[in-house]
Amino acid sequence: MELRVIYDTKHSAFWNMAFDESLLVHLKEIGPTLRLYGWEPPAVSIGYFQSMEEEVDVDKARQMGVDLVRRITGGGAVYHKYEVTYSIVLPSIGGRILDSYRVIDMGIIKALNSLGLDAQHHGINDVVVNGKKISGNAQTRKYGGLLQHGTLLMDVDVDEMFQILRVSEEKLRDKIVDSVKHRVTSLRHEGVEIEFGELQKVLADGFREALNARMYEEEIPREVYDYAKTLEVEKYATREWNFRR
Amino acid sequence: MRPGSGISEGRAEYKAGKLIKVRARFEDDTIRDIKITGDFFLYPEEKIEDIERILRDRRLDEVEDVLAKVFSDVEYEGISPEALAKVIREAWKRRS
Repeated sequence: MELRVIYDTKHSAFWNMAFDESLLVHLKEIGPTLRLYGWEPPAVSIGYFQSMEEEVDVDKARQMGVDLVRRITGGGAVYHKYEVTYSIVLPSIGGRILDSYRVIDMGIIKALNSLGLDAQHHGINDVVVNGKKISGNAQTRKYGGLLQHGTLLMDVDVDEMFQILRVSEEKLRDKIVDSVKHRVTSLRHEGVEIEFGELQKVLADGFREALNARMYEEEIPREVYDYAKTLEVEKYATREWNFRR
Repeated sequence: MRPGSGISEGRAEYKAGKLIKVRARFEDDTIRDIKITGDFFLYPEEKIEDIERILRDRRLDEVEDVLAKVFSDVEYEGISPEALAKVIREAWKRRS
């Protein structure tokens, strides 16, 4: 397989989600594509089915300058700050969605292996190192293609994360924060110090190996950006979309 | 809503691999409005709005059959028609 790779920079939550959707919509024109990017300012993305108010302390997020966005993919709320995020668009590979997670998650596992870490796929959509979650992933199939996006944590500050993410039972808060500390890890916590740009390359190599792909870089057609701009303004930056559930 | 109209609101959540949360308004044993949220996966995603619409004005004893039918043409993970029916019943029990 030929796989186009985009080494992207850090962008707003609204642009990030708009660009991912535009890549999926234009899959026929651009071919299978892997995008590696970050978030500036930091952001919380919530899953398609989640309620923003249930998941996020909206006032606190505003005070802390954190963007809030709803994804087109299911799954849970994620605080995006110290991470490289990937998105990959492919023609639908058929079979059950659960199985295709395993195929694509293998890109992350290969990347982690090359950093000297033993990693496994866990549950529906996670990748774990030493039994702790280091990567969460979410997939959708639309417009004749498949989009999966996910994160690889470079560092994590659980206390900071839970200043913004709500815990449904407030009285359980301390307990939950403690248990999350034991269930989540990052490259830094596993002893790997790596720069954003370097990690992008490691991830690209992981996907190249996992998908047995030939990677190339080529300019993205103008219409992909134009459509992303429209989606950014008319969908992802709107209260109507982000607070719809 | 008129006072004494018999409308009550209930909430419940349940972990079936992923978390399913239900917020619903009931009139006696009939669902008048429902919101289903959570971190589950359902494909195609937009189907959730159909599910919420189809559940409106259904009696509780119709929920299992309605959900079995509507879930037959979607793919899902971390949610199931049985689990969702259970959360709806729980929300009804907890209504106030």
